[in-house]
Amino acid sequence: MIVTPKILVRIVAIAILGVLLQLCFFSRVTLFHTSPDMLPALVVSLGLLGGSMTGAVSGFSIGLLIDCLLVEPLGASSLVLLSTGYLAGLFRERFEIHSSLVPPLLCMGLTLFAELGFALVQVLLGVDAPVSPMIVRDILLKSIFAFFIGWPIYLGIRRLLRPALVEETKVRRRKQPTVLGT
Amino acid sequence: MIGSFVLLSITYGQSSNGLQNGVSTIFAPLQEGADRALKPARDLVNWFDETYDAKGENSRLKSELAKARTQAVAGQVALQENAQLRKLVELDNGPALAASAYKEVTGRVISRSPTPWHSTVVINLGSNDGVKVDDPVLSGAGLVGRVASAQASTSQVTLLTDHTSAVAAKVVPGGAQGVIKPDVGNPEDLILDFLDASKNVHVGQDVATSGWAVQGFSSLFPPNLPVGEVTEASIVEQEASQQVHLRPYADLRNLDILQVLTGGSRG
Repeated sequence: MIVTPKILVRIVAIAILGVLLQLCFFSRVTLFHTSPDMLPALVVSLGLLGGSMTGAVSGFSIGLLIDCLLVEPLGASSLVLLSTGYLAGLFRERFEIHSSLVPPLLCMGLTLFAELGFALVQVLLGVDAPVSPMIVRDILLKSIFAFFIGWPIYLGIRRLLRPALVEETKVRRRKQPTVLGT
Repeated sequence: MIGSFVLLSITYGQSSNGLQNGVSTIFAPLQEGADRALKPARDLVNWFDETYDAKGENSRLKSELAKARTQAVAGQVALQENAQLRKLVELDNGPALAASAYKEVTGRVISRSPTPWHSTVVINLGSNDGVKVDDPVLSGAGLVGRVASAQASTSQVTLLTDHTSAVAAKVVPGGAQGVIKPDVGNPEDLILDFLDASKNVHVGQDVATSGWAVQGFSSLFPPNLPVGEVTEASIVEQEASQQVHLRPYADLRNLDILQVLTGGSRG
């Protein structure tokens, strides 16, 4: 991804919009007694499109913003989302995305990773109450939801960041008609 | 990654800091706008979920209604007796209720934590509205939690389901006292712990805040705020671990309008 100032503004806008959407919509709706978490899917999409550095930086920033808005210990969400974004970016750099099912499957897998990460961080910081087995169900359902919301998120972000994507530029150039005799 | 660890080490245990206060103040109008704009879509999704649950809920409510009718009759009798007794001992009706010393401020939930580990919500009331840290927070159905931190125009509310929450409570009628702790990850279940093993608690009994005060120390919550209903009270569990399970009256998953009790004397 070629990050120009214009693209940077778009990424910041996507991050802010994503955080607002999570806090004001996804966190406050319940499906099968669980609220979907779109932030790992958002970070995974940015990592898949921009690589490990973009994924890590956007994960850290989104985590920091969410910790600020929820007045929770700074750094916990950043740490988890940074790792999630980095792993998504690393996947992008190491492997080719051949199937359109790869982004939603990665969103699902890395949401599971992020939710387990949140749990690990919380356990390390100390849990002062008994933990219900329902939390496992909650984590698994969040991952399944991520499969369905990850797809439109990935496609939407790819569309918004299209001018910065190296491969998309190549494809567009390839599709230009050849003019003979000039 | 190092930055995350440094931030975590510095800010862990603090109620809020300058950065969080600043960001919350800047984003508060945006969050409030987004909250209002997304409400119809949110209601639609929640409607599907509620319809899915409605079948089971219907039979439970029917049995609760039958029980409530019996209780209402008993309540009316008790009210009459109470009024007569008050006249006898010349008790004033007002100051007897500690909660009446509080001023109620009503606000809306503008955001909610996405993880089940931190059961917190952010409301559109802050120190400008007289909200202070540790003020009790209620919904129409009962106690919801307490204010964990207050910025100028927003406050963070720690719900009863947060792992840090603990509320002194009593079972009514009966008077068995204990501490309500969450079953982290399950917002429909709370644990009333440290119960007196000699007092038996039964399914269907109500649980309210006990609101104690001893030698200058007092509970954060005034007495008699409704919290929930006992759902599981096996004799074995009561004797072995001195705890029973209860279902909170407030729907802690779907909170919208909340009331903060500001001012007043604790306990």
